[in-house]
Amino acid sequence: MPQRQLESGMMFNGEGRKEAMKKGRIKVMLGNEACVEAALLAGCRFYGGYPITPATEILEIMSRRLPLVDGLCLQMEDEIAALVAVVGASWGGTKAMTATSGPGFCLMQEAIGLAVAVEAPCVIVNVMRGGPASGQSTSTAQGDLYQARYGSNGDYSLIVLCPSTAQEMFDHTIKAFNLSERFRIPVIILSDEVVGHIREKVFIPDADQLTFVERKVPTVPREEFVIFKPEENGVPLMPTFNTGYKSPVISQAKSLNGNRGNAKEAVENIHRLVSKIEDHMDEFAEVQVYGDDKAETAFVTFGSVCRAARSAVDMGKEKGLAIRSVEVKTVWPFPDDLVRRALAGAKRIVVAEMNLGMIQREIERVIRQPEIKIELFSKIGGIYPQPQEFLRFLEEKR
Amino acid sequence: MNPLGEKYLRKEFLPFLFCPGCGDGMIVQAFLQAVDDLGCIDDLALTAGIGCSAWIGVYMNVDILKVLHGRAIPAAIGLKATQPSRKVVTFTGDGDCLAIGGNHLLHAARRNIDMTVVMVNNQIYAMTGGQVAPSTVVGSKTQTTPYGNIEKQLDGCKIALAAGATMVSRWSTAHLKPLIKTFKNALNHKGFSYIEIMSQCPVQTGRYLLGSGSPQFNLQWLKDHCVKEEDPSRWLEVESQGKIPVGDFLRIEQPEFMEEVQRMNQRVKEEQGKGGDR
Amino acid sequence: MKNAEKIEIDRRYCKGCMLCKYICPCDVFEPGQTRSDLDYLMPQPIRIENCRVCGLCESNCPDMVLTVFAKEKRKENQ
Repeated sequence: MPQRQLESGMMFNGEGRKEAMKKGRIKVMLGNEACVEAALLAGCRFYGGYPITPATEILEIMSRRLPLVDGLCLQMEDEIAALVAVVGASWGGTKAMTATSGPGFCLMQEAIGLAVAVEAPCVIVNVMRGGPASGQSTSTAQGDLYQARYGSNGDYSLIVLCPSTAQEMFDHTIKAFNLSERFRIPVIILSDEVVGHIREKVFIPDADQLTFVERKVPTVPREEFVIFKPEENGVPLMPTFNTGYKSPVISQAKSLNGNRGNAKEAVENIHRLVSKIEDHMDEFAEVQVYGDDKAETAFVTFGSVCRAARSAVDMGKEKGLAIRSVEVKTVWPFPDDLVRRALAGAKRIVVAEMNLGMIQREIERVIRQPEIKIELFSKIGGIYPQPQEFLRFLEEKR
Repeated sequence: MNPLGEKYLRKEFLPFLFCPGCGDGMIVQAFLQAVDDLGCIDDLALTAGIGCSAWIGVYMNVDILKVLHGRAIPAAIGLKATQPSRKVVTFTGDGDCLAIGGNHLLHAARRNIDMTVVMVNNQIYAMTGGQVAPSTVVGSKTQTTPYGNIEKQLDGCKIALAAGATMVSRWSTAHLKPLIKTFKNALNHKGFSYIEIMSQCPVQTGRYLLGSGSPQFNLQWLKDHCVKEEDPSRWLEVESQGKIPVGDFLRIEQPEFMEEVQRMNQRVKEEQGKGGDR
Repeated sequence: MKNAEKIEIDRRYCKGCMLCKYICPCDVFEPGQTRSDLDYLMPQPIRIENCRVCGLCESNCPDMVLTVFAKEKRKENQ
């Protein structure tokens, strides 16, 4: 079975892979390592971190690699300082990131709100482990789904990507940097222990095969520039501290010129912070379907569970069972329409996740059909679900 | 608006949000005087946390990143790391710097990263309405120590000295001339400088701890209680009289963090060029 | 000896804290009856003839609203 899981993690096969190998290289590496490779390719030159299992490898590898490209990897005194330093570096005009796991992610929550408020592009990787509190440091879990979206105070929005393979760890990191620069937001990569620690083939394309997005900086004279006035795409130009614009950047509710704002300006600001992302979801939202997309039985999965579900779909096929597996890649903002489309015609929906039912709630909200029960196949305690268990669940709960 | 203000303040942000007679405004002016004397306004990048003193930098027409409560120092480290040529200055208060941000102060001082922390000490949490701070004198009755403060004071200068800061000074708003000189030294100092400024808060400290809300009284109190004593061995004696030692306590040269980083990066790249381990 | 031509107090931002009166070694200021735009009673430099242009009021003003203009030096001093 492990062999099967490995296969499903691959991105390139057959002819495509041969072609791809000409413009890049294939390397066996950890999910966490793939994340670093991608970040460096994307131009990340500052990393603020703090050791925490199972995300430590990212910090370790960064500390080796960043000096070679004139970057700086700083092991800070805690995760709070790590993310705040990343925000500082981002305003300094550099692409910056951090990585952590559950307890560290808790500490980062206020700074996630800060990054949202001061519109600092940055990437935060959360390699999820068991909780609550110190929980199970070396075991996998998916319990931080809501924390990633709602963990900081107040109304806001951000983008959360869920990789399921080392390859996706690579792809999503590139994507995360691009989205963070495009929208000037923190982008969270919600990985988990399985994805972070799996060692498998990763295709690393040459840099000229990839597209990189950079934040837009102002060019108008300083006197004419209004610091938080949005462009047509909802995102203001970013007068980073190396552009000479003498920018006032405060974390309070603010007016367009950066001063403390009144209630009306605060309202407008919050709405803009949310709509600049959610009005443009078609640019980044991603839901994949594996298996028979007409099948009446559907799994809904995200993150590492996608792997086992894929194997279950394949095993089901051998037994004559038609199953589709709907894989939510961008979990926040939740891609309602894409998920609805991917689940169209499904009679039986089984949500599989390593928590007590989080994405299940979103599916219940999206699929409002009384005749369809949204079933939950839940595994917690760091026990990764086996593909056979999916099929057994289908049989037993019928 | 005086000429210094005309030259350097962000006019559209005025008036200052400080209460009448607050020491923060005097610090804005003293700092701008130092910057004007050095002519280094374009080199500045500021960070600040939360609290009255955090607003000091916002009114200056320079790059400023005002972040979360206590987190001004890590933000400054991130900035300095990416903009090593800038003079990074952090404005922070006693609660911001010694309580919620105490850990960050320790580690920034330890790294000897080239930045200046200006810690404005009014001995109380003023913006939230007068709660006890780590810098509040034992016995003080505040909103959260209604029966008197039973906790000992924390001395920021001693902490900075112990943690490895390479420049440590304390002055008060009643010592503007030496303060301006210290600002200038700090802006030119290669390494971590910690400047504590005893500042009057007539509204909270004055009214509830010292017995008068008049700015004059509070400034006079500072003049009477801040005694120049630069010899640490004599601090205990000064403190036992209820006084606060002020002065320029330390200014030494030690390897600076960002220079060390650049040196390391250079070395590592050379070694790799020779086929060494990566 | 220097003398002041005039002492300007910016009425837009003065908060009437009277630190100028306290700090002045020459007893130039007294509380006045005019209110600033922020609705505080402003100080008045009523004894401007005492002023020696030491600049203390200017550098101690927490709202940076005070400006002292020195008289041009008279020719006969040269």
